[in-house]
Amino acid sequence: MLTELRTRFGADAAVIQDTCDGIPTFWISAGQVPTILRFLKSEASPRFPMLYDLTAIDERVRQDHGDSPSDAFTVVYHLFALEGARELRLKVALPEDVPSVPTATGIWPAANWYEREVWDMFGIRFEGHPNLRRILMPPTWQGHPLRKDHPARATEMGPFSMPEDRHIEEEVALQFRPEEWGMARQSDEADFMFLNIGPQHPGTHGVIRFVLQLDGEEIVDTVPDIGYHHRGAEKMGERQSWHTYIPYTDRVDYLGGVMNNLPYLLAVEQLAGIRVPERAQVIRVMLCELFRISNHLVWYGTYAQDIGQMSPVFYMFNDRERLFGIIEAICGARMHPNWFRIGGVAADLPAGWEKLVRDFLNHMPKVLREYDSMVMGNRILKARTKGIGKYNTEEAVEWGVTGPGLRATGLPWDLRKIRPYSGYEQFEFEVPTAHNGDCYDRGIVRVEEIRQSLRIIRQCLDHMPEGPVKADHPLTTPPPKDGTMHDIETLITHFLSVSWGPVIPAGEASGCVEGTKGLYSYYVTSEKSTIPYRVRIRTASFPAMQFIPPITRGHMIPDLLAIIAATDFVLADIDR
Amino acid sequence: MEGTQYWPFLVYVGAVLVVIVGQLLLSHLLGERHRDRVTGEPYESGIAPTGSARLRFSIKFFLIAILFVIFDLELVFIFAWAIAIHELGWTGFWGAMVFTAILAVGLIYEWRMGSLDWISRRSPAPRETAVRPAP
Amino acid sequence: MNPTLQTLAVTLGILFTLLHVAAVLIWVERRLLALLQDRLGPNRAGPLGLFIIVADVIKIFTKEDWIPPFADRPLYVIAPAIILLTALVGFTIVPVGPGMVVLDLNIGILFFLAFSSLGIYSTVLAGWASNSKYALIGGLRMAAQMFSYEVFMGLSLMGVVILAGSLNLSEIVEAQRGMWFVLPQFLGFVIFLLAGLAETHRLPFDLPEAESELVAGFHTEYSSMKFGIFFVGEYIGLTLIAAMIVTLFFGGWLGPAWIPAPLVFCFKTFAFILFFILMRAAIPRPRFDQMLSWGWKYLLPLALINLIATGALVLIRAD
Repeated sequence: MLTELRTRFGADAAVIQDTCDGIPTFWISAGQVPTILRFLKSEASPRFPMLYDLTAIDERVRQDHGDSPSDAFTVVYHLFALEGARELRLKVALPEDVPSVPTATGIWPAANWYEREVWDMFGIRFEGHPNLRRILMPPTWQGHPLRKDHPARATEMGPFSMPEDRHIEEEVALQFRPEEWGMARQSDEADFMFLNIGPQHPGTHGVIRFVLQLDGEEIVDTVPDIGYHHRGAEKMGERQSWHTYIPYTDRVDYLGGVMNNLPYLLAVEQLAGIRVPERAQVIRVMLCELFRISNHLVWYGTYAQDIGQMSPVFYMFNDRERLFGIIEAICGARMHPNWFRIGGVAADLPAGWEKLVRDFLNHMPKVLREYDSMVMGNRILKARTKGIGKYNTEEAVEWGVTGPGLRATGLPWDLRKIRPYSGYEQFEFEVPTAHNGDCYDRGIVRVEEIRQSLRIIRQCLDHMPEGPVKADHPLTTPPPKDGTMHDIETLITHFLSVSWGPVIPAGEASGCVEGTKGLYSYYVTSEKSTIPYRVRIRTASFPAMQFIPPITRGHMIPDLLAIIAATDFVLADIDR
Repeated sequence: MEGTQYWPFLVYVGAVLVVIVGQLLLSHLLGERHRDRVTGEPYESGIAPTGSARLRFSIKFFLIAILFVIFDLELVFIFAWAIAIHELGWTGFWGAMVFTAILAVGLIYEWRMGSLDWISRRSPAPRETAVRPAP
Repeated sequence: MNPTLQTLAVTLGILFTLLHVAAVLIWVERRLLALLQDRLGPNRAGPLGLFIIVADVIKIFTKEDWIPPFADRPLYVIAPAIILLTALVGFTIVPVGPGMVVLDLNIGILFFLAFSSLGIYSTVLAGWASNSKYALIGGLRMAAQMFSYEVFMGLSLMGVVILAGSLNLSEIVEAQRGMWFVLPQFLGFVIFLLAGLAETHRLPFDLPEAESELVAGFHTEYSSMKFGIFFVGEYIGLTLIAAMIVTLFFGGWLGPAWIPAPLVFCFKTFAFILFFILMRAAIPRPRFDQMLSWGWKYLLPLALINLIATGALVLIRAD
């Protein structure tokens, strides 16, 4: 790869950097960004057709830059090749005074929102971007939150107050102005109606806002307005110890529970050099798949609900309740168990877990058949979802859509199969696909995924290995306690690790999993300290949401709701 | 029917009116009152609206209304035939058939013209970037 | 008993029953939906949660009776009144027993059709007068829905009219002594059922309301008893459609001799109300344009075919 870049763009075009995760990482110059990205997208071998992530790092207070040619800011492009799910990271060093890079929106439309996010969070300009404005923070916000000099805690800022005039000011700032988005207010025949669906609307699954440009009931264009659920999960990472950050990850895709712990821990464990024991891996897989089912059940019910079918959501929540019974028995908590630990899981499985899991496995296939005939087999539902919000594989890849949304277009692209992690290679399961790429097919894929997850869980149940549930490694947190009362070394390590938290070796790594909604990644940077220097969370809902405007154009208001329902997003997963 | 009594109907309608007016008045008297900064604004997902609900609306709704007027008026004639079918016999039946055939031709014409399909130009939507440049 | 007093008793009795049916239906629907959906429903206030009705009435009467300053005030106030008025007055021609009818009109069916169409004004005017975008779209949907389903609603009943040879509902019931019209007029029954559901704009045809799309559609800006009247009107409209189905297709009050006729009528009507609630629990909402085009493309031609076939058969029989 490096030689290919150097022969094409000159010997000093790319500088390589060592990373713990083995992902090729090159430093390139800002001026060459568009040409190199275009080359990698369409000409290089392998080609990297997906702009997976685009983010930045504020390097200004970093103690140890290692051998990298970094400056005040670093913009990171993260690309994916479909074959073998190979990843590539490109970095651009930017000076402090006017950090700016040429935009990549001309190469990948998906770069649009990512660049807006980097501008919003770091104040890095993207020259030539069509509409560089804040995306997560309110338009009235001062400063760029992920810069290291921006306060992170309420105690570092003045007391918050919201007087009447400020309230009015914020309201005016949030009012939609079509001109700012290049939209006309009327056509020759009729006035366009600008309708806000959200932030407070029963059909949007939470606080998100779609501004619709309507001609009658026909959608001319859509502008999603996100950020209402933004909680600064990445900024919090810079203030939490490696260990105490785990509960925050639970709440990113809040329907995915421990599924979110895993990519973060995969990244941290790579930095720490921990090999997780087999039993812990299988427990992790089992819990992840249980949460995949839980997520898909919520999706299934709300999908029917948004199409106007009233009852299924209650049945599916009942099943989810059974599932939470198992999660609660194992983890002690339900939605956000915070159960995985650096180097393993928090505790061993409780006595009698097999019966709970087996009962659930025996119960589900029967009800899934019922749900099939009630929801997926319903003719009205088919009429409402078939041919709606259709896209093909190329478009999905282009926009960074992963997970069921990608597989519904016919590409069996599942990270658990292509690049197994956490021992997935030992399990037998299929990757469900469909081929029309419409709202109905996205549903079919998810329903089949529930069945495949059940299959994986049954294998966990039948072949649960014996052994420890935590790695025997000094950085495992909390560390094994057995030796603490026997020798002072272990006692001190344990004490420090529990009170301060582990000190993770310097470096950077990213962990990537096939989450409930698509690929989830945590890209962590350590400078050999008890807290991460930077935590980047790449979620699946963010690009899926960005893709909604192009697939809604020409449809009607009810179709928008069908598309939202079939997308399966949660707000915290978009806004973080 | 000679013996149809109308007074119970009037009593009934009178009672209905009393019920309705009573309900409206009672709730008007019992209800609370409050006045806040945004009490007087229409609900639009809790955000300041862009443009009002009084606008030049799509012609499609009007088209459906016109179709309705045409068909419903013509169907009224069928009602008359239905009640008098025995008196009119087969002559009436063939008359109604011709009438219905004309109606059916009209319906087929509307159908073929696409006035019964709401979105006529459901061509693949353009897939340019979600956010277009400000002018 | 004095015949005048008797008539008066029947008249006011029907009204009294209807208003209470509407109230009780709130409880029935919530409990039944809960039953169908594996949950409990209101079960705390009073035996079986029945007092929830009282609580609801008290609550809704003491809510703020808000007339939006941006609304078209007279229309805004009149709109809910229309739905209740037309639904209740539409009931006057329904015979609940032999001779037990408020208005024994010989054009009963036409009267019913007229009042059920008038009821649509309520929704359309509410949507327009609210001057809110969700309400406007809801109102427009209702107008288009009515335009499309009204056309064949009357048409679907003409088969019954041909068979009975009358537009008078009491005579239609009497004509069913041999056989309920649902058998020879099954197609007409299905079409009327769908059109009736569309007119009452309940799920699956609640497009003017469409919670997940339009928040509350045409009554988004309504509060207090004005909102409540829409609710009551919807239930009475539902009861009216059920009663009409029973009268026209299921032999009205006809039943075993040992049960009083009005009770037979009530049982049958209630069965259909339960059926409507079941429909609500089971079926998703079609899209607005799909619903319109199904009406025009399938139900209207079917209603015409049904009519012609019935006419031909009746004439062949007569020959």
